[in-house]
Amino acid sequence: MLKRVLAEAVANLLASRQRSALALLGIVIGAAAVIAMLNVGAIARNETIRQFRQLGTDILMLRLDSDSGLGNFQLADVEALPGEVPMVTEVAPFVIGGGSVLHEGNVSNGSHLGVTADFASVARLRTQSGRFISNLDRYELYAVLGQGMAQQLSTPYAPVRVGSNLRIGRYVFTVIGILEPVLQSPMMPVDIDNTLFVSVPNVRRIMANPAMSMAVARIRPDAEAEAAVRQVERYFAPKIRDQRLSVLSARQLIAGMQNQMQLFTLLLGAVGAIALALGGVGVMNIMLVSIAERRREIGVRLAIGAEPGDIRTLFLAEAVILSVAGGIIGIFLGIGGAWFFAWLSGWEFVLSPSAVPLGAGVSAAVGIFFGFYPAVMASRLDPIEALRAE
Amino acid sequence: MLELVDIGRSFRVGPGEMHILRHLSLTVAAGELVSIMGGSGSGKTTLMNIIGLLDKPTSGQYRIDGQDVLRAEARELSRLRNRLIGFVFQSFFLLPRLNAWRNVALPLMYRGTPEAEARRRALAMLERVGLAERTEHMPAMLSGGQKQRVAIARALVGEPRVVLADEPTGALDPKVSQEIMDLFLELKREFGVLILIITHDPGVAAQCERQVVLANGALTETLRAC
Repeated sequence: MLKRVLAEAVANLLASRQRSALALLGIVIGAAAVIAMLNVGAIARNETIRQFRQLGTDILMLRLDSDSGLGNFQLADVEALPGEVPMVTEVAPFVIGGGSVLHEGNVSNGSHLGVTADFASVARLRTQSGRFISNLDRYELYAVLGQGMAQQLSTPYAPVRVGSNLRIGRYVFTVIGILEPVLQSPMMPVDIDNTLFVSVPNVRRIMANPAMSMAVARIRPDAEAEAAVRQVERYFAPKIRDQRLSVLSARQLIAGMQNQMQLFTLLLGAVGAIALALGGVGVMNIMLVSIAERRREIGVRLAIGAEPGDIRTLFLAEAVILSVAGGIIGIFLGIGGAWFFAWLSGWEFVLSPSAVPLGAGVSAAVGIFFGFYPAVMASRLDPIEALRAE
Repeated sequence: MLELVDIGRSFRVGPGEMHILRHLSLTVAAGELVSIMGGSGSGKTTLMNIIGLLDKPTSGQYRIDGQDVLRAEARELSRLRNRLIGFVFQSFFLLPRLNAWRNVALPLMYRGTPEAEARRRALAMLERVGLAERTEHMPAMLSGGQKQRVAIARALVGEPRVVLADEPTGALDPKVSQEIMDLFLELKREFGVLILIITHDPGVAAQCERQVVLANGALTETLRAC
């Protein structure tokens, strides 16, 4: 019975191909919009999580400002932090600056960081070759390069490797290590991949006004981020005089980003839903036109014994077939659109698990919702008047 | 057997009422071929709608095989039409997107007959009306006479008690008209079904064993040997 109704509905839709295709198009666009929007939301969420995977979420970023610009931590105060605040396990202060580096005629403009040996473990950096800066390096002209900067400085004949010489200002530094590639983290003030690391004492040689204004700290995984932030602030309060300390925790940042992302996804979903609703109105319109045209057919069917329910089922089936077919095409288009977006932005493509069932369900629901009124109209036609129609 | 007793049908027109049929009675036995003639506005169509269970009279009684069919609701009326009445229309009214045998099988389908069984009966009926070679044709590919044969097959396939034909030859040329009338006469004998032909063609009416004339909302009957 159902099979026959579906076959008949498909035949009817195929009989007025152009009109069916137009109604289909509305649903396709709507469903594609919903699917694409939801999936782009999922891709963006995934990207946020990915950005934090490297650095972890139990990270605090400390930053000191003074009225005249950057603040200056006392090295001893910072290094005493894990002893005084038990929630903090490790901390690494650093000096931030930037400029150009030369190697064999290649120039790279990037960030320069003056760091202690602990920086590598706190920021979870690993060397691909060589070693990281050690506290014993002091005034030795040693430098460690991020992967991106090393590649930028390499020439086909002279790749940058451990032992290569770099020129920074008036000094020649020797490369002692190259880092593994690192994703840029929203927590870090610099792109690690495009950064040169030297020891803290060396920063005076390559920066005009060095100031140890920042520190990165790792807290215990079970520690509450807000409590840790408060304790760190309380610890530094008497030590920094009139400078201002700001402490940012990764978890707070993630929460903020996810809130924003959720709003974004909701907004996109709403745009898609509006498109789908318009598609539904298109289906309703087409169904009403089709019923007006087929009044006599409805009359004949009623005369030879179709019950009003049979007529309703037939037209509802046509609307639902249109919507579901449009939904299926729309799902593929939407996923394709989301993939294109991921490709364009260089993000990792993920398929939102809810997108496909949601898209199919919503488009079927649109078909039933917008097909119901025309179908009921058709089933309520008076057979005498329907037969008289031309 | 079909029994109309004291049927009246009036329509509300503005403040007053227009009586289309009044005190109309008609009894037809199974196996009879009856013509109903009448001029325009005589109430032919209204009478046909009432007999075909598409409309209800404002007064009177209507029984088919002793069953009071005026009590039925819309759904029940659909079922009664499906089981008791076969319609043949002037302009055939075949469904354009169904081929010949599917058009014929439609009443069986609405009755819930399995498709294989419905197809078998539809093909047999098409063969009976002389269209064994045209079962897969779409209506647009058939001539007027062939279309009317398909329509007659559709009216008879469900083994109804009454076949109601509204100007069945009105759209056909005289030669084909005669073929259709001959077919009605054969089928009446073969199936013992009651056939009512509504027409304004005296030539058609003349071939029916009973002729009734509708004028001013009432019937007068002329009896004649067929």
